[in-house]
Amino acid sequence: MNGLLAKTFSAIWTDEPHSASRNFLITAIFWLLFGVTFGLIAGALMVWPDLTKGVAQLTFGKVRPLHINSILVGWLSMAYVGCMFYLSTLLSKRDRLWSERLGNLTCIVWNVLMVAGLWSLANGYTEGREYAELNGIFDWMVMAGLLLTGVNVYATILTGPEKKWYVTTWYFLGALFWFPIVYLIGNRAFVQFNGLNDAIAGWFYGHNILGMWFTVGGVGILYYLLPRYTGAPLYSHTLSMIGFWTIGMFYAPTGTHHVLQAPVPEWLKAIAVISSVFLLVPVFTVLINFFMTLRGRWHMVADHVPLRFAVAAGIAYMLTCMQGPFQATRSINWYLHFSHWVVGHAHLALLATFSMISFSAIYFVIPRIMQRKIYSKGLALWHFWLTLVGWIVMLVDLTIAGLIQAAGWHFNIPVDQWAIEMEPYMLVRFISGLMIVTGQVLFMINIYKTVFSKVGEPLPQSPNGQLYV
Amino acid sequence: MNDRLTYIMGGCFVALIFLTIIFITTILPSATFQPAPSKAAVSYTAQELRGRNIYRREGCFYCHSQFTRYQDWEGGELSQAGDYINETPHVLGTERTGPDLSNIGGKYASAWHVAHHLDPRKVKPGSIMPSFSHLSQDEMTDLVAYLQTIGSKRKIPNWIMPPQEIRDHYALISEKVDVNSSAAANAGRGIYMQNCSQCHGMAGRGNGSVSMTMVKKPANLTRSFYKAYSDDMWYYRIAHGVAGSRMPRWQKSLSDESMLYLTAFVKTLPQSSDTPSGRVDVVSFSQLDAPEALSHNFNQINNLNPSHHNKESRYIYGYGRPYGGH
Repeated sequence: MNGLLAKTFSAIWTDEPHSASRNFLITAIFWLLFGVTFGLIAGALMVWPDLTKGVAQLTFGKVRPLHINSILVGWLSMAYVGCMFYLSTLLSKRDRLWSERLGNLTCIVWNVLMVAGLWSLANGYTEGREYAELNGIFDWMVMAGLLLTGVNVYATILTGPEKKWYVTTWYFLGALFWFPIVYLIGNRAFVQFNGLNDAIAGWFYGHNILGMWFTVGGVGILYYLLPRYTGAPLYSHTLSMIGFWTIGMFYAPTGTHHVLQAPVPEWLKAIAVISSVFLLVPVFTVLINFFMTLRGRWHMVADHVPLRFAVAAGIAYMLTCMQGPFQATRSINWYLHFSHWVVGHAHLALLATFSMISFSAIYFVIPRIMQRKIYSKGLALWHFWLTLVGWIVMLVDLTIAGLIQAAGWHFNIPVDQWAIEMEPYMLVRFISGLMIVTGQVLFMINIYKTVFSKVGEPLPQSPNGQLYV
Repeated sequence: MNDRLTYIMGGCFVALIFLTIIFITTILPSATFQPAPSKAAVSYTAQELRGRNIYRREGCFYCHSQFTRYQDWEGGELSQAGDYINETPHVLGTERTGPDLSNIGGKYASAWHVAHHLDPRKVKPGSIMPSFSHLSQDEMTDLVAYLQTIGSKRKIPNWIMPPQEIRDHYALISEKVDVNSSAAANAGRGIYMQNCSQCHGMAGRGNGSVSMTMVKKPANLTRSFYKAYSDDMWYYRIAHGVAGSRMPRWQKSLSDESMLYLTAFVKTLPQSSDTPSGRVDVVSFSQLDAPEALSHNFNQINNLNPSHHNKESRYIYGYGRPYGGH
């Protein structure tokens, strides 16, 4: 037992190359499983509302923030940091991070924050602001984690031998500059706003955790992985840079489109809607690059599992970014606001796009860090299909449910009557959640078997990672 | 220019733009957007504040919004910016798995709320609200005390006189159109035919073609009850709709002048002689001086027999409900 503890400690507090990236990814997958499980409980409560009757920690109002925070702050953020750590060493042609020990310290801070933060949320210590539920002390811990990550990645890239910056480098450095500012203001860590100003600041954060963190980080990772997988050069570096500069300009003011019908200042709504539509500019630069880089290489998805994840993520990115500006316009928002449609959109962005990018990146990074092949290609394929079919079923289901619900509001049908119509849709949503959770369990088994098994199949030399999975 | 300088300048440029945008969209509104408190803004007592914290802690705002929009015809009075002065953190909500709560205060008895929170499906079959039986008795009392404050100051005082601010607004705009002139009534006829006749009928009898789809029928504007309406009450009903019915808020799509023309027209509709017997419809103008005595109890009218909420009632009543409300 003592031996195991000592081994664990030496794995966590170490200076060996890529250990920080590895530790981040391993713990991120744990929080992924935690998060999707709580998502499944929330979905079950929509079908069987008395399932957790009498348990204060498992009512819907507690399960939902647990689901959201473990996915946003736990899984996706930690997976991004892990991927940034590894990819930034590749991009700057270094063999290790600027400081692996600092990276491991960040990982410890982040995991302590997750355990304590989720415990506090389950017991009702919440700020009560959607997407920003974590309390003051945890906000500062997230800030510390982001700043330590920022220092490490900036130092890695700036001190590396590679002086030419690939677009991914820009995206990483941009994300690590923008997001701490967004987080600081959005969580109102140092200033309190009153009434509707609180909602404005809240949705500035709520939308920009997607815009300035998940999109910028995820697109950056995708820009690295695609040329690497396909062996083709990026279609246009100029186009990708236009996308990078415009995303910073058009994403930041969009938050108010979440309160488009609330009595907030009209000029703010106008800015939000216009910049939401203008988001199509950076989106199209990414999509054009994505489809043109893949041109003539679509057959590769047949036997290249990580590329398959990346392609699915790219197509989901197209869907979510067409849907987003569409439903941010006033007349569409007029109809769709307050409905399950928006929940479907959120899952399309965070599960189908950014989680898929992270899966792809983890299938790319883990074999290289561990110097062995992924444990099972079959499990990876099951993971892919269960997640893909899961999110498609969930999206279609929630979209239809949202349209019924919106009709309920607009034709003035009382809630008690249309809520009964939701029952079959909530059941299908639960089943799709079950598929997604099963997929993630297989993913966790696959990666943990790869990392923790004593002897793995050694990594063959391959230019694009095709044989690693 | 070397690469290094390009990067530094590019970085500064991005930082500057980003900080400017943050300043404009979050810091600037908090400095310039300071609405005056509206009449619906609530100053909470210690108990209500405790209840509000329980509302927040239990995550009620994930499924219940607290703002009434133009298109929420059934929801009651529209939310104003000044209503939210004392609401920090905000509880606007983003998704309505359950009903909007901006007018829940005073709608049901407190005992009903307690029973509903202990076992929602006993009171509302088909509801998917979680049971809050884990709350202590004190917490439940606090929570219900808070719920009873939401929108309680927003209620319409009575059915034949508009709220004071509407009367003030009407006094300001009434100079634009003479609502007693036949020219204005003629102008209103076209607007009526285009926008109102589908429900209220060509002759204002509430028998327009769409009315057959409604369980709560559109008003028969020829009833003698409506002859007691003052000009500003007509304007109020047209501009702000009727809570509990599908009468829209026309202020969103019609100008003040158009609504005044409409007012002029509906005043000219003939009075029918077929008022149902046994119903007190005629309101004398002398009674208008004591509006409180006339006020109907909004809450009792909207309070539904819970047995109507079961699944079968859907097939009996079809869509829509006889009395409106949630």
